[in-house]
Amino acid sequence: MGESGSGRTLLARAILGIPEPNWSITADRMMWNNQNLMDMSQAERRSLMGKDISIIFQDPSNCLDPALEVGEQLIEAMPTNKSLPFWRRAKDKKLNAKNWLRKVGVKDPERLMSSYAWELSEGECQKIMIAMAVAHQPRLLIADEPTNQMELNTQAQIFRLLTKLNQLQNVSILLISHELEKVAQWCENLTVIYSGQVMESGPTASIMSHPYHPYTKALIETIPDYDESISHKALLPTLPGSPPALQHPPIGCRLGPRCPEAQKKCVHQPKLCHYKDRYYACHFPYELEQNNDDATS
Amino acid sequence: MGIFLIRRLNLFIATSIALIGVLFLATSLFPVSKTVALAGITSPSLAQAQQITDDYQLNSSELGQFIAYLKQRLSGNLGISTSSQHPVIDELAVQLPATIELITVASILALLLGVPLGVLSALSHNKLTQNSIMVITLTGYSIPVFWLGLTLILWFGIKLGWLPVSGQLNLLYQIKPVTGFMLIDTLISNSPYHISAFLDALKHIVMPAVTLAILPFTVVVRITRSAMTQVLSQSYIRAAEARGLPTRRIIMRHALPNALLPVLKQLGLMLGPFMSYAIIVEVIFAWPGVGSWLVSGIYQRDYTVIQGGILAVSLLIIFASILIEVIYTAVNPLSRKELYASH
Repeated sequence: MGESGSGRTLLARAILGIPEPNWSITADRMMWNNQNLMDMSQAERRSLMGKDISIIFQDPSNCLDPALEVGEQLIEAMPTNKSLPFWRRAKDKKLNAKNWLRKVGVKDPERLMSSYAWELSEGECQKIMIAMAVAHQPRLLIADEPTNQMELNTQAQIFRLLTKLNQLQNVSILLISHELEKVAQWCENLTVIYSGQVMESGPTASIMSHPYHPYTKALIETIPDYDESISHKALLPTLPGSPPALQHPPIGCRLGPRCPEAQKKCVHQPKLCHYKDRYYACHFPYELEQNNDDATS
Repeated sequence: MGIFLIRRLNLFIATSIALIGVLFLATSLFPVSKTVALAGITSPSLAQAQQITDDYQLNSSELGQFIAYLKQRLSGNLGISTSSQHPVIDELAVQLPATIELITVASILALLLGVPLGVLSALSHNKLTQNSIMVITLTGYSIPVFWLGLTLILWFGIKLGWLPVSGQLNLLYQIKPVTGFMLIDTLISNSPYHISAFLDALKHIVMPAVTLAILPFTVVVRITRSAMTQVLSQSYIRAAEARGLPTRRIIMRHALPNALLPVLKQLGLMLGPFMSYAIIVEVIFAWPGVGSWLVSGIYQRDYTVIQGGILAVSLLIIFASILIEVIYTAVNPLSRKELYASH
């Protein structure tokens, strides 16, 4: 998770391999199935997309071609059943598309398939996108803010659907979001990104209870605690300032100017440290010393 | 959709009546007597004069005259040509198909070459390719069409001698007109030499069509390029890539149909200049179409021919632009969204 402009979508697109022509991607290592994604040609990457790695975007209605019926695009995305003779494949694909629509919780696939993307609601479009994404039974599904601009009811449906896919279809889901509560509720592992740098990473539960990084701590504190009464017009605790412009990021730790714990040392980029199953990038992590003390005593 | 079609038909009828009204007003301004301007008979006998006065209701009010004029013109009576003494409508029936043939070939040429070049220039990230395509289109856009026509004649017609410089068909061939379109007539004709006649007609149409196609070609390239660049940056193209579709399929199936819609719309707006270019080209290449006929009519003060020619050309433009708009609405599902909202 991370706030908008922190580079989450860029990360997702870099993993999938659909950069803009003016991007250049560098990575120490980007492995998929024991193959280095960086070494693969564009065609090989493309053959992986949609089959092994799928993505659903944050603006589903814009991600469907407005000039084609939804059904045609859905059928186009369905896998071809090679065991059938070619004249029966089209029919099979159509049947397949309808089945997938039913599986993602669409009541009337016929109506949906014969309408255009702009005639449908965001929730319906997202369900169609999910149906397209999972039709090839991918191993990794990147969900880039799948419930952006949706009302709560639809959000709940989409999340239930993703959970079901995760548990029943054996799909790993990389959920990208800016809502800490959602992430905490649905995810096993959590990575916090700020301005394109990884701040902290590890199991959700342990991060939520003991954040090491000042940024994570600040984020958790912004969740209002409904148990205690908050005084009228009280300010929620937030970090001062706003995220830096990406053309001129601060030197060293990019949180530096806003960090409550920042010291002189922070102008040097902190290395990603490893402690038990947690990773963090900070010179002055919270609670670590205390934990160490506890362990030794 | 039904309401939309009726509205467009309405528009067609209203514009045509307005056009005929303007022609009617212009007729009374011609520096000859009204009977001559209307019927084209220079020295009518007493009976003919009486006939014309009756037909055009010349003794009744202006409105009555206009209604009578409308009746005559719509029933196909365009008078007779002063110079050739043939009914104007018959001459028109011979000339109009030649013009339509030339325009059709030129548009097909412009689209067939322009769209792929526009797509190519939108797809390439190579500055050299992009710039050279832009240079070509800008040059084509700014070349005066009469100069281009004369240069082509000089070069390919006279110096190299590859192509015939004027006319629609070599005088050697006698092809009976059936449809009026020379390319079709030569093909379906049952004369023993119809294949060589077809090739000859093809040779004749190359230079006028190329000259006429240059302007729409450059416009098509530029619009296709900008529309394609815009479409390629849309998220549904990203999504299609992420679904693992091959690039060719994305372009043919998702990008091109969306990008061609603005091209179609722009073509509708181009019809007026296109038609006037067609007239110039016809004069240069002595193409036996409405354009050269109209221009010679103007030189000879042949008032009925002028009226008939203007009527035919304008009706053609009005009809074609409305047709293009209807096609645009029919093939563009997004425009139907606007229709939902407006009715």
